[in-house]
Amino acid sequence: MFLTRSEYDRGVNTFSPEGRLFQVEYAIEAIKLGSTAVGIKTPKGLILAVEKRVTSPLLESSSIEKIFEIDAHIGCAMSGLTADSRTIVDHARIEAQNHTFTYNEPIKVESVTQAVCDLALRFGESARGEESIMSRPFGVSLLIAGIDETGPQLYHTDPSGTFVSYSAKAIGSGSEGAETELQEEYHSSMTLLEAETLALKVLKQVMEEKLNATNVQLASVTREEGFKIFTPEELQTVVDRL
Amino acid sequence: MEYNGGAVVAMVGKNCVAIACDKRLGVQAMTISTEFKKIFQATPKTYLGLPGLATDVQTLAEKFRFKINMYKLKEEREIEPRTLAHLVSSTLYERRFGPWFTEPVVAGLDKNNNPFICNTDTIGCINFAKDFVVSGTSTNQLYGMCESLWEPDLEPEDLFETISQALMNAVDRDCLAGWGAEVVVITPDKIITRTLKSRMD
Amino acid sequence: MMSTVPSELPVTAPIEHRFDPYVDNGGTLLSIAGKDFCVVAADTRLSEGYSIHTRYVPKSVKLSDKTVISMGGCYADCLTLTKRIQQNMEASLVAPMWYRHAHGKTMSTAAIAQMLSIMLYQKRFFPFYSWCILGGLDEEGRGAVYTYDPVGSYEREACRCAGSASSLIQPFLDNQINFKNQASERRELSLDQVLRITKDSFTSATERDIYTGDYLEIFVITSNGVELQKMGLKKD
Repeated sequence: MFLTRSEYDRGVNTFSPEGRLFQVEYAIEAIKLGSTAVGIKTPKGLILAVEKRVTSPLLESSSIEKIFEIDAHIGCAMSGLTADSRTIVDHARIEAQNHTFTYNEPIKVESVTQAVCDLALRFGESARGEESIMSRPFGVSLLIAGIDETGPQLYHTDPSGTFVSYSAKAIGSGSEGAETELQEEYHSSMTLLEAETLALKVLKQVMEEKLNATNVQLASVTREEGFKIFTPEELQTVVDRL
Repeated sequence: MEYNGGAVVAMVGKNCVAIACDKRLGVQAMTISTEFKKIFQATPKTYLGLPGLATDVQTLAEKFRFKINMYKLKEEREIEPRTLAHLVSSTLYERRFGPWFTEPVVAGLDKNNNPFICNTDTIGCINFAKDFVVSGTSTNQLYGMCESLWEPDLEPEDLFETISQALMNAVDRDCLAGWGAEVVVITPDKIITRTLKSRMD
Repeated sequence: MMSTVPSELPVTAPIEHRFDPYVDNGGTLLSIAGKDFCVVAADTRLSEGYSIHTRYVPKSVKLSDKTVISMGGCYADCLTLTKRIQQNMEASLVAPMWYRHAHGKTMSTAAIAQMLSIMLYQKRFFPFYSWCILGGLDEEGRGAVYTYDPVGSYEREACRCAGSASSLIQPFLDNQINFKNQASERRELSLDQVLRITKDSFTSATERDIYTGDYLEIFVITSNGVELQKMGLKKD
């Protein structure tokens, strides 16, 4: 009579008797295996930082990309399946460009986040029988950072399509430790410089390898410069400050 | 009217009249000359404006010069503006079924120095106006300008400014007219003729 | 004798079938941008050929506290286009874009301007027969006038007149608003001056254009919102 969990996690869009969608929950679990990513919001702008897992000394670390530009004023950091993030970022970029084309103004950060989350649950068979675009949920979580007319915005999205706004947020394998550290150190009147240092400091504590300029990536979003990924030299100066 | 382009306007002031024209001669969109006159002196105090097909403009100008001179020789007096208007009208109506392609304007002071202006269509139907008359390719623009700028009893200098502004701003919105303008103000004791510089595009 | 055509069949002339979906309902509209205000005005006559259908039908619609749209041309097309703009600004089951609900804010004048251009161009090969003028305040609070052709080509200007009497009024606006052919320097006009020029334009145009007349509706857009003034025009 009562079916075990393992039988309810076959179909991607079948609820269990307890009201759970196991495949989505598993996807959320997949994020916890991903590399750590940190986002911090300050009154002047935002900082995104990610850890790169350089698994071999032969690997060229510059080829690992975990921070993406969505529009001139919006960027995002990811954790989870890199390939899935490409699909999502592509969608977000198209949405942003489409908005600028139709309305001649930059899209709001919340609207981009909403557009990304609209995509999240379009897996499995749809009710109207039309062709669905994905067979499984995305195994990726994003930190979307941007500045619009309402000021700096930091959003977190997960595979269920839920999005929440944060002052500072960490995702990925080291997220628990990182969030504890963020809660202690974060204050709402941080400068951007303090945020840069804090982001790397948090990463340093949760990373297995020793942090250096090649195994992390740093990006900022400011009113003046928009979205910008730190060059190796800029990154080195922040690492040296630690 | 659209083949060569051009515009003429005349206005009544206080004991004076003004008549003005642009100076363009074109063949459809191509400008041929910027020194093409469209107003001609008929008598010391009367002018005749002839916008329209350039060949008809020149032919009619000569034809009217001949007729006005003949009138003067026969009658031993200058032709009155009102008489000239009827002369123009009957000359055009002679070609009722193969008209001259021009819409003439007559402006002048009569023997009592009363202002007179009128225009006709291509077959000589006279329109006696008390305020202003417009003719040529910029009629819409000229009507808009004249309706809003003109007022009764303008002194010669004010009349000059009014007719100049009306003509220049009107032809600037007409591709077929413009390229300079000529203004004549007729008062009882003198005739003021001025050439205006305007947009050349 | 054999004939290939039976002689009993009546011979009929060929019937021409033609689809002519457009009518010109006339009417004139204008908009003038000031330093911190914008004026949008249009007459209210609706005519076809030599007959007047209605003496009072508004051509301008308030889209937001900052924007007013005015349209002339084929009235049916104008109505539909206005409705579509309003749908896209709000939310509707049939609308493809629902700005306010998707983005949680009212559309700015510039955003409506860009959207309208695209909406018109989307019907490039079966256009809306409409001459649009969008008047309002931009994000900095300055007056803004956007003008369109029926297929979406658009431009921001200081002033513009469109519709049946546009050729009468536009040279006057060039002269009075943009100081064309005047020696004096360009200067900012006050709201009172702009309203006077607007009213003069329409009374003059009504004298000569049979498609313009009856009443004049003037929308004044300031930071305090949109105010509507009405004025009578000649009815002949």
